[in-house]
Amino acid sequence: MTQIGEVALWIALLLAGWGAIAAFVGGRVGRGDLVLSAEKAVYGVWAMLTVTSLAIIASFLGNEYRYKYVAGYSNRDLAFFYKVTGLWAGQTGSLVFWALLLALFASIVVWQNRSRNREFMPYVVGTLLVVLAFFLTVVVSVSNPFEQLAFIPADGRGLNPQLQNYWMTIHPPALYLGFTAFTVPFAFAVSALLSGRLDTRWITTTRRWTLLAWFFLTCGIIFGMMWAYVELGWGGYWFWDPVENASLLPWLTGTAFLHSVMIQEKRGMLKIWNILLILSTFLLSIFATFLTRSGLIESVHSFAQNLEIAYIFLGFLSALTLVSAALVWWRRDRLRAENQLESYLSREAAFLANNLLFVAAMFAVLWGTLFPLISEGATGQKIAVGPPFFNKVNIPIGLVLLALLGIGPIIAWRKATPRNLKRNFTLPVAMAVLVGAALWVSGVRHVYALLTFALGAFTMTTIVVEFWKGTRARAHIEGEGVGRAFVHLIERNRRRYGGYIVHAGLVICFMGFAGKAYNVEAEAALSPGESMTVRSPFGHTFRLTYEDMSWYNATNMTKLITSVRVEQDGRPAGMMTAEKRAYKQRDEVASEVGIRRAWNEDLYLILAGIDDANGVVEGTNPRPVATFRVLVNPLVPWIWMGGFIMAVGTLIALWPAAQGAEVARVPARQARPVAAKPQMVEA
Amino acid sequence: MKKQRKFLVGAVAVLGVVGYLMVTGMRDSMVYYLTPSELVAKTTADPSFREMGVKVGGRVAAGTVSYDQRTLDLRFDVVDIADGGKTRFPVHYQGPLPDTFEEERDVVVEGRFTEGGVFEATTVLTKCGSRYEAVEEDFLK
Repeated sequence: MTQIGEVALWIALLLAGWGAIAAFVGGRVGRGDLVLSAEKAVYGVWAMLTVTSLAIIASFLGNEYRYKYVAGYSNRDLAFFYKVTGLWAGQTGSLVFWALLLALFASIVVWQNRSRNREFMPYVVGTLLVVLAFFLTVVVSVSNPFEQLAFIPADGRGLNPQLQNYWMTIHPPALYLGFTAFTVPFAFAVSALLSGRLDTRWITTTRRWTLLAWFFLTCGIIFGMMWAYVELGWGGYWFWDPVENASLLPWLTGTAFLHSVMIQEKRGMLKIWNILLILSTFLLSIFATFLTRSGLIESVHSFAQNLEIAYIFLGFLSALTLVSAALVWWRRDRLRAENQLESYLSREAAFLANNLLFVAAMFAVLWGTLFPLISEGATGQKIAVGPPFFNKVNIPIGLVLLALLGIGPIIAWRKATPRNLKRNFTLPVAMAVLVGAALWVSGVRHVYALLTFALGAFTMTTIVVEFWKGTRARAHIEGEGVGRAFVHLIERNRRRYGGYIVHAGLVICFMGFAGKAYNVEAEAALSPGESMTVRSPFGHTFRLTYEDMSWYNATNMTKLITSVRVEQDGRPAGMMTAEKRAYKQRDEVASEVGIRRAWNEDLYLILAGIDDANGVVEGTNPRPVATFRVLVNPLVPWIWMGGFIMAVGTLIALWPAAQGAEVARVPARQARPVAAKPQMVEA
Repeated sequence: MKKQRKFLVGAVAVLGVVGYLMVTGMRDSMVYYLTPSELVAKTTADPSFREMGVKVGGRVAAGTVSYDQRTLDLRFDVVDIADGGKTRFPVHYQGPLPDTFEEERDVVVEGRFTEGGVFEATTVLTKCGSRYEAVEEDFLK
């Protein structure tokens, strides 16, 4: 079975190579039969990679430790679930998995476009297959999952305990789905450049793909944060770690792209910009894969130094960048803007500012992430920049973006009149002032937190008003009840209202981030029966009493579990546990935190140390002194809630729109939109 | 095109502010990666280097670890891995003992090297074991 997997891998590579050549040649000389052959090759690559992936999973389930990859990431005791997800637990498997997902998406693209966009398809298929061929070359040459050890170990090394977590198993696939889905709009952009068809067709035809990519990437990033929060055990969810940053980079440019294409669709501007954004989003996706997989930069979860892979990826990345830049230069005459910016007070300007800030944030994050390499190359001295750097740059950018989130969707196109501004912004500004003042009075003095909540109130109000106006108008015109009108409003204009829902989710996330300003932390070494207290920023007093210590031997670990009784404001509020786990297979210790979640704050309990762990297991000292770290993390639950709302909003925007809901272009010399949709009424 | 110039000014202003934040942010959070012998050499050559944030990668010297469970007071000596243990200095850290901390382990300590020759650490990270990649040598043992 597993031998078939390796054979299939080689066939996939040959098919991808053949298909890439056939597609480009066929497109160039107009040979439709070659293009069709390339499209069949796409299906073939997908089928072969499915076989390869199943073979890898089979080798995990069959405990075939003669394979280096299986021996490195599994052992006999490992749960079935983690054996299946072993496919993407390590570098070699994840590269196969990456290619599998891309082949799947490529097959869907070929199928979707079997009778449309034919002028694009040769180069789209060619580009997708070049990327596939690259990944498969890396897999067979330097990172082969079927590489065998010189001997057969009796058991494998097991999976790193910190990766044995639900979120960690779905986090990489979500990210990879996002990274690979961005390849589709990238391929269409390359094809548009090569074929010279540079109107908005490549954008509209890949809009859903971009949204899909963004959806997965957003989910992947949030899953990663959840994993860090429950598993790493320091109470945070984001550390500006190189690998985290890597996934954020394509998200930033991808988000900019989602917005800037609207300007091209409506006003024929930013054509070069859009091409550059999607090219860089894809390049950054490759870069992120490479950074995670090469361990080039020291990182808490970097996958070991593997410089051979680093050079190969760097070469591919440089080649792609050069080719893309040359293509844009070659087509620069066809990428001229049809309109010009007219006023700072216009939707175009708000979108441009949004784009500029997203790209600036991307550069800042990229710079900070690569700085150890840059400084080492330039001065021979490795210097890193820590979280303060990233926070200092990105918090102000985030706050301006938060304001633009409210302004962008409702300010007039071309040039806003004072009447438009007054009409749209009086209430939101009033709400911002009100919320800011209320928080000030209740003692909030942290500037960034105050700004986040005031700007959040501003933006939330604009969103609510938009929904309210649209619903009211619809109820009036169509004679529907409010509830019905509300549902229809979203249904008939999914892209717009789905987008608003994403915005609302992001505002909630931002407020969750701001909660960090009021984190509370306490530490104490306790004997059984002793207690400690913390006061939360919401005014609750938590009293935690260390009750008991227990332990048991599981198949692959020894667990030491402390039970802690919680009282909130003097009333009993249940028990919490926090654990230390000693893994037998890998000689590692990990902490398992206890989290007590409320709608507004988390009580986060870490077992930081046990005085005499051996005494517990041997029975000589069953209830030793234990050290606890207790954190109150206000508003962290809002981050997960906001993330969920963002995902729902994206899915709504993704859903196929009702017919005839395509956007109307704003005419060049007429200030008002011609569309008669009630929710479009402005000024 | 003239009209577009005023928008260029706006864009340049935005990028200028971001650039300013980056430069000042760098100054506040730069951390040098050093080995114990590099740190000693640098502070001997330039005493003001003590003000810089540093991350030092070394090994916990055997027989030097003392940890008070009650006060969470950790003291140990760190030695240079490369120079055969010639360079060493004491490290002081206040906080819970990291999970995999033990003698002879490689650690990264972040903090400042004080006048008294003691390294006051704000974080202590254990390096081994956090590697997710399998190493073939592990099987050959």
